[in-house]
Parts: sequence; C-alpha cells; structure tokens
Amino acid sequence: MIPSLRKYLAPFLIVTLLLVTSCAQQPASRYEGAQKDSTEGPQRNQTIAKEATQGSQFNKFFPKSSDGYERVYTQEKKGFSQAVLKQEGKEIAKLSISDTVGNEIAKKKFEQSSQKISGYPAIQQGKNTTAVLVEDRYQVKVSSSELDANEREEWLEKFNLRGLANLR
Amino acid sequence: MSKPIYKIVDELPTNNMTIMVLKSLDFVVPGEWNNLVGFDNTIREVTGETDEEIIQQIGDRAVWLYNDKSQGYQRSMWLYQTVDNADKALGAAALANKVGNSIPIFGFLNRVTPNPDKAQAIDLSIKLVVEVLAFCQVNGIPGDSIGEFAASISNYSGEAIMRMAALICLDGLIPLGPDFLIKIDSILNNLSPRDLEENRTFNSINEEIPGEDSESKLNFIGNSFASVRDWMSGFVEERDLSPDKIMDNIRGFIEVSDDKLDYVAAFLDMTTNYYEHTGVQTLARSLIDRAYAEI
Repeated sequence: MIPSLRKYLAPFLIVTLLLVTSCAQQPASRYEGAQKDSTEGPQRNQTIAKEATQGSQFNKFFPKSSDGYERVYTQEKKGFSQAVLKQEGKEIAKLSISDTVGNEIAKKKFEQSSQKISGYPAIQQGKNTTAVLVEDRYQVKVSSSELDANEREEWLEKFNLRGLANLR
Repeated sequence: MSKPIYKIVDELPTNNMTIMVLKSLDFVVPGEWNNLVGFDNTIREVTGETDEEIIQQIGDRAVWLYNDKSQGYQRSMWLYQTVDNADKALGAAALANKVGNSIPIFGFLNRVTPNPDKAQAIDLSIKLVVEVLAFCQVNGIPGDSIGEFAASISNYSGEAIMRMAALICLDGLIPLGPDFLIKIDSILNNLSPRDLEENRTFNSINEEIPGEDSESKLNFIGNSFASVRDWMSGFVEERDLSPDKIMDNIRGFIEVSDDKLDYVAAFLDMTTNYYEHTGVQTLARSLIDRAYAEI
C-alpha cells in the first residue's frame, strides 16, 4: 500500500505544481486583442488603406514657422504627416494630418462634434488634443499639454484647411 | 511571429549595466534621458493623456501600426537589436550579483578582448548606418537619404540624443581616444571591401545596407560617417568631452586603471546594449506619437 502510494504521490505533486505555476503566469495584456487581430485577422498588414494619400502631399498645408515658432517635420508616411512646433528650441505641440480612409473609428468620433473650426467639424479628444475633420476625410490635429483648447484651436486655424480640402 | 511591441517595451530593464552606464553619461546630455519603460507608461508620458479609454485606443493603434510590416517599425527594431547583439558572453548572468557594487574590471580581463582600431572604427560606423536606416524607416523617408538624416540629427532629443552621446563616448572616445574622428576617417579611407566582409558587425546587417556589392556598401558607410562627422566634432568640442571626463563618471561603478581604456570599451561593449535599449525607446515614442495622431 505505502510503496504504491509513494509511486503515485510524486507524479501527482509534480502535476499539481505545474498547474499552480502555469495559473500564476502574468495576466493577459489589455492589447492582446489588437495583437491577435493585427497578426492573424483578415486585415493584417493593411493598417493603412491602399488609396490613402501620401504624407508628403500634406506637408504644404501645415502652419509655417513664424513669430518665434519653429515647425520641424518629424514623420511622413502614407496617410500621415507630423511636425513638432517649437518655441525657443522647446517642443510645445505636435501638429499632424492623417487620412482617415480605412480608419472608420477615427472618423466616427466627429459625429458627436458640436463645434466648428474654419467651418469644419471639430472635437476635443482626451485632455490634450483638438481635431478637425476636413471634407469628411482628412483629420488635422494639434496635441499639446502646454497649449489650452483655445490656443490649439488657433493653431488649427493656421493650417491651410481649404487647400487640404481640395486635395481630394 | 515577432514579439509584441508592448511586451518589448514592458520588459525594458530598469537596473542593469546598460542603465548604469547611460545614467553616468547624463552629464553629456543633461536631463535628456530618464529611462522611460513600460508600454502604458510610455503612452502616458508621450501624450500626457490619463483617460484609460484613450490610452487603450492609442495602444491598440500602435500595435496595429507596429505589426504592419510595410510601416517599417519592425525592420528598425531588428536593426537596433541586431547591431547590438554581437558578443554578449559577459552579459547579464555574469554580472547579475555585481550591479549596485563597484565592479573590479580586472576580474574579467582574461575574458575581454579589446577591439583592434580597425574593427572599432567599423563598429562605430555601422552603428551610425543603423541610425540612418532606422531613422529613415521610422520617419518614412527613402532608405538612402543620408542628407535628411544629417539635417535632422541636430534636432535629436531624449533617448535619441543619449544614444548618439553614448556612441561618441563609448564607441569613439574611450576605445579610440580624443582624435577618434580623425582615426575613423583614415581607417575608412583605407578600408577594402574585403576588410568589411571580414567584420562581424557588418555581416550581421550587411543585407540591409544600400548598395549592390561590398564596395558600394563601403561607400554608403563612408558617406554616412562623413555626413555627421562635423556634427560629432562640434558635439565633443561644445562639451569639452574627453576620455578622462567620461571615465571619471564611469569609475563610480567600475574599478579600472587609466591605461586600460581599450579594455573598458570592450568590457562595456560586452555587458551593455545601449543601442538596442534606447532604440526601442525611440521607436516606441514615434509609434505612439503617430498612433495618438491617427486615433
């Protein structure tokens, strides 16, 4: 009796130990869904729509450097262009234009817009961003924790939004 | 499948040899680098947002962008990881219980082989090439735009300027001395395609370097170095940097005598991965910037 108990006890304990330790693994990340969809789903490797406008075409619509403010381009990709705004060498805001084609969620938030900037629907997003949607397609954003909503709005007005509207 | 970006950023270390060395270089670029780690943490820091739903949206978008191979982020990651992954035999394990104490380097001397000047010059130049290529990938400009890179380097800040500072100090000044730029210039000018082919760092990223053969790749390497040589020289001059000054700060945690600088360089090369570490941080920042703009 005793030897046979011994015989089964050790494997039983090992299995129990394995179960306990495997359950004690790190909790799943909140980004696991996005990870799975973007690597295994039908939309993988198609984050940016084929018909998206090249970021290089957006650059001329950004506010120009002036009055002690310097504009420095940082990223330029298909469907996206970004610059930082500097004052006395210090970054005070990020300026961007992106194409929402194929990015419906980005566009959808403007349905709740109750504000207009230069005639285009605008929203406040989170604490630090103000955005407009031009011609139901191009999203223009000013993000900054240094500028308040009014100042961000002023910078949005300095973009050539009409020119951007004609890009379509 | 490659590792998820949030895991890579979450797993960045907060206390090892790499971190100690980079902290000791704070005097070179004061306040620029504060070892930002953790994916959520990076999102909060970069965007200033606190709303959990917004953070989730930014993180999700960043994951999508990173996993879309056409966007170039994974290739940049590979470049930063690979160029720093040469010989790490003396890595984390050997030093695990030494961090926090002063490490007597003589205990490791028999396991450290200094790089000959030629190999060291190639190492620094290839790391620069990786910076050019990763910069172009991340910022979306053609892969051989050395000019655009050179124009942008003066705007480098945060992790990126720390990476360049460490490159100048750890791969330039300490192993090659105060006239490291002149030495590298002359070594590159006399280098044959064959020399290049025999170099391990070159071979690790050979296929990513623009050019049809080793000779044209050698040209690309030479041009990359030439494009930032003046900037590096100005960087050293403005801060009056010297091997002594750097060693004064490194001596806080490594015991070493002055005549062993080439050993210190080799030791640091084998025990740190500052290029990869700060490269991941730079990449995460760009990715999150873009995700924040696109949500």
